Amino acid sequence: MRAELVGAGGVVERNAYLTRRYIWWDVAWFIWTVANTLTIVFIAKGVESSGVEFDVNQYMTYLLIGAVVWAYLGVLFGFLMETVAWERWEGTIEYTFMAPLSRAMHLAGQGVFAILYGIVRAVFLFGVCALFFSLSMPDANFVAALVVLSVASISFIGIGIMTSVLPLISPEKGTQLGFIAQGTLLVVSGVYYPVSVLPDWMQFLAKFSPATYALEGIRGAIIDGDGLSQMGDEIGPLILIGAVSIPLGLWVFRRGELYAKRHGKLKRSG
Amino acid sequence: MSAAAVQVDGLLKVFDVPEREAGLLAATKGLVRRKTRAVRAVDEISFSIEPGEVVGFLGPNGAGKTTTLKMLSGLLYPSGGEALVLGHVPSKRQRGFLSRITLVMGNRNQLQWDLPALDSYELNRAIYRIPREQFEPTRDELIELLDIGDLVRKPVRNLSLGERMKAEIVGALLHRPQVLFLDEPTIGLDVTMQKRIRAFVADYNARYGATVLLTSHYMADVEALCKRVVVIHHGRILYDGPLTGLADQFAAYKTIGVAVENGNADLSRYGEVIHTEGDWITLRVPKADTSSVTARLLTEEHVLDLNVEDPPIEDVIELVFAQERPE
Repeated sequence: MRAELVGAGGVVERNAYLTRRYIWWDVAWFIWTVANTLTIVFIAKGVESSGVEFDVNQYMTYLLIGAVVWAYLGVLFGFLMETVAWERWEGTIEYTFMAPLSRAMHLAGQGVFAILYGIVRAVFLFGVCALFFSLSMPDANFVAALVVLSVASISFIGIGIMTSVLPLISPEKGTQLGFIAQGTLLVVSGVYYPVSVLPDWMQFLAKFSPATYALEGIRGAIIDGDGLSQMGDEIGPLILIGAVSIPLGLWVFRRGELYAKRHGKLKRSG
Repeated sequence: MSAAAVQVDGLLKVFDVPEREAGLLAATKGLVRRKTRAVRAVDEISFSIEPGEVVGFLGPNGAGKTTTLKMLSGLLYPSGGEALVLGHVPSKRQRGFLSRITLVMGNRNQLQWDLPALDSYELNRAIYRIPREQFEPTRDELIELLDIGDLVRKPVRNLSLGERMKAEIVGALLHRPQVLFLDEPTIGLDVTMQKRIRAFVADYNARYGATVLLTSHYMADVEALCKRVVVIHHGRILYDGPLTGLADQFAAYKTIGVAVENGNADLSRYGEVIHTEGDWITLRVPKADTSSVTARLLTEEHVLDLNVEDPPIEDVIELVFAQERPE
């Protein structure tokens, strides 16, 4: 087990080297994400200017949390999708799949780096945007928010692993298909609006989305100051979804790998 | 456990290849009913390789060489038959198998394009669980043997093709594999670099007793490294034996080089004159007639020098590759 963890650590290390190699591109991408997030948060200002009376600071924080969690989810899914897509493009895919490292540890290495990188990025994104709007969060419990995000990450990783198999079985269009999962989570999880505004059937789907509970928990912690002891309704489902999605994701990935090896799809693009 | 390093019995790989006519109508029909054709990329081949043996695996493009190597490396599942490498079934991905083999593909890379090779070597150390006390001397020894000490600190993208190939080979051998599958390792390299890589493979084989299965379109690679060759064409094995025996089996002719006193003599009545250089004339004669033609030359001409040779291996291979698929 220790040796497997060393292997997973090697994958984390490689991703760290690659991120360091292109750190200025990451900074540029971060600026784009900041701009995108500001655009979303400005919607609250826009609504205010139309004369509607509401707590604009709270609504801006609400939107900011949605945008940051959504960006975080994008990072996680991006890294996991790249498990296959990027290696295919780089031409290293055959060697990676031939390496004596269990698939679970290989994907764990990708997932752990994605979580670490994503959390650092999310904290910076939240901080920069909150400062920009001078948002007041007097009751915020940031520790509880980070714990919820970390627990939710396990579920996100499980779903990410399931989607990362798509480029494996469809080298040409698989990556684009992965956006379906992200899009579905976006629409049903209450990223920018409460789940209660959705039609009943969408609210039913929202119950299976870890993003729903992550957003509720983080908003509760930052806007209302909820502590972890008050988040049983969020953390419980997140743990349950994680416990199902990780093994299910690994199973799906193994099936995809089997398919790729039977049909000769384990090869570089071009 | 099999005593052979590589044991292949009736290995089969069938791909379902989509096919359709050109045009929009055919493309639309294809949405509803997709036509496929079963292609036997590797067609029930069998061979075995003893530990420490270096075997050339020859065939034209599309013959099934890379498909076979991928099945032996566990990257592709066979449709039928069996393969055992170091006693392991490759598709099972057992650690004892994966950590003792390597596959080097001349047109692929395992080193990260954006990183110096040294960083990728570190990843291999972690994944292959190479103890540092073994890793560092091995890495340094391989780097020295291939003379790439100045290159491994540059991002791989900045290396030339030959430099990259050498860096790839170091990465592939860090865990000291016992079986090497080398798929066109010298493709696109200049002659000097080809020689260097050949010498390195020979040295690695001698030093570690590694088993090597080598594919290459450069016959110089095969002649330098392999006493035995397996020739595959249309997915089937056409020949498995000594390199020197290829000509006996496939070449219908031999070449007779002869120098005669009268350098301008017309020797076309003895066979097809394929080359003339000074007094030296090269004739191509049917294999069955070689003895009689040689005897006639010696009795009828003032022969200064004469030798009889098999045709160059490239010509023999060309003859083999020109064969149609047997139905």
